[in-house]
Amino acid sequence: MRSVRFLLLIVMLGSSATAAAHQLKTAVTTVLFNDRTGNIEVMHRFSLHDAEHAVQVLFDKTADMHKSAATQQQFADYVLEHFAIRDLSQQPLELTTVGYQIDGAWFWVYQETPIVADLTGLEFRHNALQEIWRSQQNLLNVEGHGPLQSLAFTAESEWQSVQF
Amino acid sequence: MKKLVLLLIVSILVLAQGSPANATSAIQQTKGTFEDKFRQLDETLPTPNVYRTAGGEPGERYWQQRADYQIKVRLDEQKRRLDAEQTIVYHNNSPYRLKFIWVQLDQNIFKQDSMAERTATFSSTPNIDLDGIDRPARISLNQLRRQQFISDNELGFEIKQVTDSKGRKLDFVVVGTKMRIDLPEALKSGDRFEFGIDFGFNIVEEDAVNARSGYEHFPDDAREGGNDIFLLAQWYPRVTAYTDYEAWTNKEFLGRGEFTMEFGDFEVEITVPADHIVSATGVLQNPRDVLTRTQRDRLEQARKADRPVFVVTPEEALENEKEGTNKVKTWRFEAENVRDFAWASSRKFIWDAQGYQQGGEIQPEVMAMSFYPKEGGDLWQKYSTASVIHTMEVYSRFSFDYPYPTSQSVNGPVGGMEYPMITFNGPRTELQEDGTRTYSLAEKRFLIGVVIHEIGHIYFPMIVNSDERQWTWMDEGLNSFLDGVAGREWDPNIPWGVEARGIIDYMKSTNQVPIMTQSDSVLNLGPNAYTKPAVALNILREVIMGRELFDYAFREYAQRWMFKRPTPADFFRTMEEASGIDLDWFWRGWFYSTDHVDISLERVYKLRMDTENPDIDWQRRREEEANKPTSLFVQRNQAEGRKTWVELNPDIRDFHDENDRFTVTNKQRNAYQSFLEKLEPWERRVFERAVAEDKNYYVLEFENVGGLVMPILLHMTYADGTSEDMYIAAEIWRRNAKQVNKLIVTDKEVVQFSVDPNWETADVDISNNYYPRRIIPSRIEAFKFERSMDHIRRDLMQDSKTELKTKDEAQEQN
Repeated sequence: MRSVRFLLLIVMLGSSATAAAHQLKTAVTTVLFNDRTGNIEVMHRFSLHDAEHAVQVLFDKTADMHKSAATQQQFADYVLEHFAIRDLSQQPLELTTVGYQIDGAWFWVYQETPIVADLTGLEFRHNALQEIWRSQQNLLNVEGHGPLQSLAFTAESEWQSVQF
Repeated sequence: MKKLVLLLIVSILVLAQGSPANATSAIQQTKGTFEDKFRQLDETLPTPNVYRTAGGEPGERYWQQRADYQIKVRLDEQKRRLDAEQTIVYHNNSPYRLKFIWVQLDQNIFKQDSMAERTATFSSTPNIDLDGIDRPARISLNQLRRQQFISDNELGFEIKQVTDSKGRKLDFVVVGTKMRIDLPEALKSGDRFEFGIDFGFNIVEEDAVNARSGYEHFPDDAREGGNDIFLLAQWYPRVTAYTDYEAWTNKEFLGRGEFTMEFGDFEVEITVPADHIVSATGVLQNPRDVLTRTQRDRLEQARKADRPVFVVTPEEALENEKEGTNKVKTWRFEAENVRDFAWASSRKFIWDAQGYQQGGEIQPEVMAMSFYPKEGGDLWQKYSTASVIHTMEVYSRFSFDYPYPTSQSVNGPVGGMEYPMITFNGPRTELQEDGTRTYSLAEKRFLIGVVIHEIGHIYFPMIVNSDERQWTWMDEGLNSFLDGVAGREWDPNIPWGVEARGIIDYMKSTNQVPIMTQSDSVLNLGPNAYTKPAVALNILREVIMGRELFDYAFREYAQRWMFKRPTPADFFRTMEEASGIDLDWFWRGWFYSTDHVDISLERVYKLRMDTENPDIDWQRRREEEANKPTSLFVQRNQAEGRKTWVELNPDIRDFHDENDRFTVTNKQRNAYQSFLEKLEPWERRVFERAVAEDKNYYVLEFENVGGLVMPILLHMTYADGTSEDMYIAAEIWRRNAKQVNKLIVTDKEVVQFSVDPNWETADVDISNNYYPRRIIPSRIEAFKFERSMDHIRRDLMQDSKTELKTKDEAQEQN
């Protein structure tokens, strides 16, 4: 048997919450080809409730998504570090950070990059929060470029791709 | 039929494109592509019978089994182990003879060779990159911790013996998380069988294995070696459900789909270290043996209190957790008509209680209680018991009076779990460097939300005994819907979720399964079993049925199935039966399919009725013609100043130059008179009135892009600035689920039609909801615009110092 390297993820601290209420442990990212702006717009949506708990595990116990702009920035940065796009020849698409906001029950993080001509597909990596919650699922919808295509990222997912 | 030339067009039936309605249906559309989204569900739902009626009620011969338990259990704190002897009296109320009884051994899920462990998948693979950058596989420390714990500890039930009431050994076979006990002779219908099981098991560390119960260790407590909180659930061999719809439940326990159980009475004696406080399903029978006189007095005082009263104060709990004892005490609890029994034990517990004066005859007084360590602190003191009482106030309105004498919330390592009369809830305070304990707004909301949710589960599924191993949504979906109601009644400013817009990204994705999917096979359980059904019920209540009909029907469902075992069909049928509304299309779309809602208003035609009077109509045609743009060719000739032959020769003209093609002659006027005379009197009245009123006729062309048939919530904005709403029932899609036209007649001119402007139906694409079309900015576009207006970026503090200039000053400056 061939031995393989393991990459260890950081210790998970959160409580398990098996049938727990409210922590949905699911995030949705919309990747929208917006012809009006000429950009691929990336909109990450996290349940604010999940984010509130995540920041206390990820950063420190005093992290506060509601009151602290620093925490919000920190969480947005965290999301950006855990998400990436590249084309099918594995050339990264450099994403520009647009900003973040709380809207009702959700925390949104925005990125964009100019639409590249003649794309035959894209590859994505999205492992935000999966290092702290094994059951975290990140759903990704690619819209505005042919029929909608979805990808689901679980804790063990690596890069996944859509073809146009 | 008279030739009434109205320029009104009725909707044209166009055969729908798409796949057949239901590939598995006995009745199939084998020509064309018409899809009947309103086909009744009776082919899909189980056939009604004497046990379950076509109306969704328990049938005339409804039956369910019963199991009464007597258990004596000892907690070995040092070894973190339980050992127990239990006697089960099994009542065979079914019409059938039983040769064996199945028992659930849920602790066996932690065995190294359990089906759950063996079938757990791992999808992270190492990747050798040709460019030389290898990517290793990823494994979390949590996964390693779990594996180490499971291999280091002997886990799962140790079944010491199974005997009948006379002590004779019974044969049994363990099959994974189940055990078949073979009866000496078949148990006849109406008979009962008493048997005993001696068992024990090592308790799992909850944080290590991610279970629904277990112990949590607190190494930093003052007591040498620290302390534990023990939460015990799925801790005794429990009789497997035997039902009219499935017989014995055969699904292995894989960790997600929990269980459905049989109701029965419990007598449980729990022996724990003498300094422990125990919370359990039921009512404590021997307070004199285990509580001090002061504690008993405080409990009595709590019955009529307005706020929670400490039975064990924080100071007493802190003192108690500093040292241990070798002595033990036995707490004796009894619970009637419950489907399960759980308990918690620790020397760390603070205990507060408050009587909830519910009134009524079923259970006028309920003791609401919370048990928590110092780590729960002020947060729990303020909100736990209060949330317990609030939940009962709201849920009882939607179902039935809370029927049990106690309702408890216990803090421990489990994020949130429910059992009859007792729930486990996870939120905590944080110890700060200055020694104080604080909690964030997030943790406060978590506590209130999770207590509401878990206490809510005492109603669904602990009393309305649905089967989570089969249909997770029946308890999680219904309960998430109701916790949304209770949450909003606590504080509507807290975003509680279950709004329609929260589920659209999930519903439009291609990565999902229908809600009606067996629990263990569901992809993305949160949105599937919690949010989507909760949103669906919210839409039913607020949009489709209205609160009065929905609430009546929902309450009817709860009351019909209180202490009984409903299936999805019983819910679907009751909601229809009690409201008088056919909802088969709704269940089919939301629960049996993965369609989403996307209704597009594709086109609007404005029509005007002809008067048939040529002097009026032909003039209108003339004006219409004049309003058409002039030919570019002619315009340019005119611009060049080029004169036409006709203009250059004005002296030569004839009849045709003076009369255009819209000129009315008596021939047309006579025809008009003849038309009027041939009308029947009623036709003439109708016609003349319609001409006189001269209303606006609009034909709206709707397309159902998402596939899910839903009502059309139409909003019309008139030219005078007023607006009006029109509710078009989902049945508009019954003959064509893809495309329909609708004639709307208005007195006033409409300048804008919109569909679902308040985002009530989970319509995933609002850009096609407006006519004329609006440009709907993407979230990023909107965000950039809002940011430019944002007071954060405007430096409002600086701007606000600006003094208002007088007119003269302003002019001077200019």
